[in-house]
Amino acid sequence: MAREFEREITAKELEQHFKEHSVAEFFKKNMQMLGLTGKIRTLTTIIHEYVTNSIDACEDARILPEIEVRISELAPFYYEVMVKDNGPGLTKTTVGKALGKLLAGTKFHRLIQSRGQQGIGAAGVTMLSQITTGQPIKVLTGNGKETFACEISIDVRKNEPKIANMQDLKKEFRGLLIKARFKDVKYVKGEQGPAEYLRRTAIANPHVTIKFIDPNKEKFVFKRTVQQIPAKPKEVKPHPKGVTVDELITLAKHTKAKKVVSFLKNDFDRMGEKAIQEISKLVSFDLNKDPAQLRWHEAEELVKAFKKVNFLAPRTDALRPIGKERIEKAMKSIVEPEFIAVVTRNPQVYRGGFPFQVEVAIAYGGKAGKIINGQKKIEIMRFANRVPLLFDAGGCAITKAVNSIDWRRYNIKDIENTPLTIFVNLISVFVPYTSAGKQAIADEEEIMEELRLALMDCGRRISKYIAGKQREYERKMKKETFFKYIPEVAEALHKVTKENSEMLKKRLERLVLERLKLEEKEVDDNEKKGKTAEES
Amino acid sequence: MRRKVKQPKKARGYETSKEIANRLYILAKKIVEEIKKGKDPTFETVIRGRSNVEFDEALKLIKLGTKTSRRYFLNIGHARKFMQTMLVLAKTYEYLMHNKTASIREIYYELKHTIANTKENTFEDQTESDAVIVDLEHAVDTFREKLNLHANPKGALYGDITLRDRMHHNDTFNCSKLGRGGWSIMSRIEPEEIEIVDVNADYVLVIETSAMYERLVEEGFAKKNKCILVGTGGQAARGTRRLIHRLHYEAKLPVIVFTDGDPFGWYIYSVVKQGSMALAAHSEYLAVPDAKYVGMTLDDIETYGLKNVTEKMKDVDIKRAKEMLDYPWFKTKEWQRQLKKAIQMKVRIEQQALANKSLDFVA
Repeated sequence: MAREFEREITAKELEQHFKEHSVAEFFKKNMQMLGLTGKIRTLTTIIHEYVTNSIDACEDARILPEIEVRISELAPFYYEVMVKDNGPGLTKTTVGKALGKLLAGTKFHRLIQSRGQQGIGAAGVTMLSQITTGQPIKVLTGNGKETFACEISIDVRKNEPKIANMQDLKKEFRGLLIKARFKDVKYVKGEQGPAEYLRRTAIANPHVTIKFIDPNKEKFVFKRTVQQIPAKPKEVKPHPKGVTVDELITLAKHTKAKKVVSFLKNDFDRMGEKAIQEISKLVSFDLNKDPAQLRWHEAEELVKAFKKVNFLAPRTDALRPIGKERIEKAMKSIVEPEFIAVVTRNPQVYRGGFPFQVEVAIAYGGKAGKIINGQKKIEIMRFANRVPLLFDAGGCAITKAVNSIDWRRYNIKDIENTPLTIFVNLISVFVPYTSAGKQAIADEEEIMEELRLALMDCGRRISKYIAGKQREYERKMKKETFFKYIPEVAEALHKVTKENSEMLKKRLERLVLERLKLEEKEVDDNEKKGKTAEES
Repeated sequence: MRRKVKQPKKARGYETSKEIANRLYILAKKIVEEIKKGKDPTFETVIRGRSNVEFDEALKLIKLGTKTSRRYFLNIGHARKFMQTMLVLAKTYEYLMHNKTASIREIYYELKHTIANTKENTFEDQTESDAVIVDLEHAVDTFREKLNLHANPKGALYGDITLRDRMHHNDTFNCSKLGRGGWSIMSRIEPEEIEIVDVNADYVLVIETSAMYERLVEEGFAKKNKCILVGTGGQAARGTRRLIHRLHYEAKLPVIVFTDGDPFGWYIYSVVKQGSMALAAHSEYLAVPDAKYVGMTLDDIETYGLKNVTEKMKDVDIKRAKEMLDYPWFKTKEWQRQLKKAIQMKVRIEQQALANKSLDFVA
């Protein structure tokens, strides 16, 4: 696969090359590319792959997802995972491809906002089960009419599914149930464990109900807070500014167009006549050639030309944010904060070619934040296309954006030790991850800017709330202070003047209450004044 | 020659307990009326501290300025002090009505208690009650002795002078016949309590250290030189200063001050002469602007050949000397010269260094 070509190769030849090496064999040797490294991370990744597939399948079939996950410990570092959904199920022809053939999904090389970007997940997990236990995975699936069960493993050399013990069942079932066993994995409760992964998945997918039983038989239920299935994201053609040489060759290989000129016109976003004219002047070859015969250096010339031509910015209507109200509902249901501020920014473009959009929520008080050693600390929930990112927090643009803000300006004196849950969802047709582990977002300039703006917008609202709370607290403290001194003052004055001390007490209390009311009114008036000044 | 001392006329500083009690009553009544009318109860006091202290060039006294401040109960920053002031007001009113006196430490303990339903005390430490006492002094235009309060006594007096303690069986005694210790100066030296009957002396010698005071008593210095010895034991206490003041104005005795040759010693002299910043309001009743200084000075080191018995000045001494350079009442040519010399030489000379010559050298 490495590009150590001694001579120029055409896309057609390249395709041949693909077939010669088993993708399955390649991935077996490079498991870390799937994020399957580390005992804790591996188990969380397994859950992620199954749950993501289930949600996607349900959404495609316009079914409100209901997902059940159970993890049981068989022996130390040896677990069984069961995932069940209420989706459309798989057929006897699709079941093998879906779970037993790497790179067999429909998502590869498509520019569409999606949870997984490579579609290797579920089959990768099958392989992991196979190489750690030697056992196949067990599948039960049905479409409401026909139900069948089977066992699936992978022929690693051929990258082909092996289906065994196929059985038709009488019972009525709709959905997919997978049972698989894994060794060298470990279940943990903390921030990087499956429970937290599922909690966050529920927050970012408020239309999903998730039930989870952990190895200690503890049960978690995250009920859906909205009843609508999100609209399907639209697939978009790649924008010329966001394409690499490698991708261009792959696209050229798959196109139906017979000439490069029509390939550019049909397969790219914002590619007009004028742009093609300009490109033809910038490249050394004839644009009428067959795209399948496109050579590497020619593709390079095209990409270089794209950089010099002015295109319209890519269309952003393909993005599907969660939405302000939905985030708020989900956070209120799961985090139960005292106060929450939510911002969904308008879509923007990074690197000139990729549309993206940022959603931020900051929850304050209540159950917000995480508890470490009995201390409430800040909790940052990172998401990419609604998928929780639990690892590599330090290298992630979201963490960097949070840390780049001077929170003291927002009435938050010590951000680390404040009961805050910061929710950030980045959606894009192409999320720029820092590595194949797909756990940290690269700090693209435009993305950082949008993240900061959204965080600061939420910060302003939180700041207002905290200021109000502080005022309320101060009023309460003031009242208490005055009230505790009143009996002493009344008694002392009584001793000298013989005035009734009860009467003095009552009068003083009334004085205090009147004074505090007056102060409250002044603050409100000032705030109103400030607001009108801001508006005008 | 023994001479009778004329008793002072009634004036400010010489009011009766009843008169002061009445002022407290009027203040309490005013506050009650404000409460009844729904007004924020308040009283006025004088701002203390350097910002409101000035040096009166004509009288040669440190005096409190005219800047006043108000304490309001409904001000969250004042509420606690206001409450404390009312407690002290009621308690001193009681003392005055029942002819009782108390030390400022005693009134602190008498008033200290936990406020109902809280974990807070009316006073957390004595500095709180001391500050409030000063507030109240100003609010009713008097000083603490008039509120039947006094500080802890310090200082001693020796010499041929007859005093009468009106509060204690009218005991009449001569202070040269009380043994070597002399008379322990009480903290309340008001004329209605301690009367100066007669005196047989030409001047008062005020001495900083107790050791030097004892040395001079032992050497019979008072009799030989016809003087009264007052040992302050460091900075002069209020009662001691009040007594020195009365010896000067009632018994018409000149006052001479003898301290260590260092900034702290010189400041003791300055307090006896011009008054202090902390009690700037009462300088008229405490200070003696005509007081003279006899030593030690840094010049004495050469005059008496004491070079080998000087002590190194510490950093605090030097800092103090620098501060004192700026005080208006140290702006005389001689004192500026002494202070600058001290800062430059970085040495001090103690009274007792004179013992280097011989124990009785000083006498």
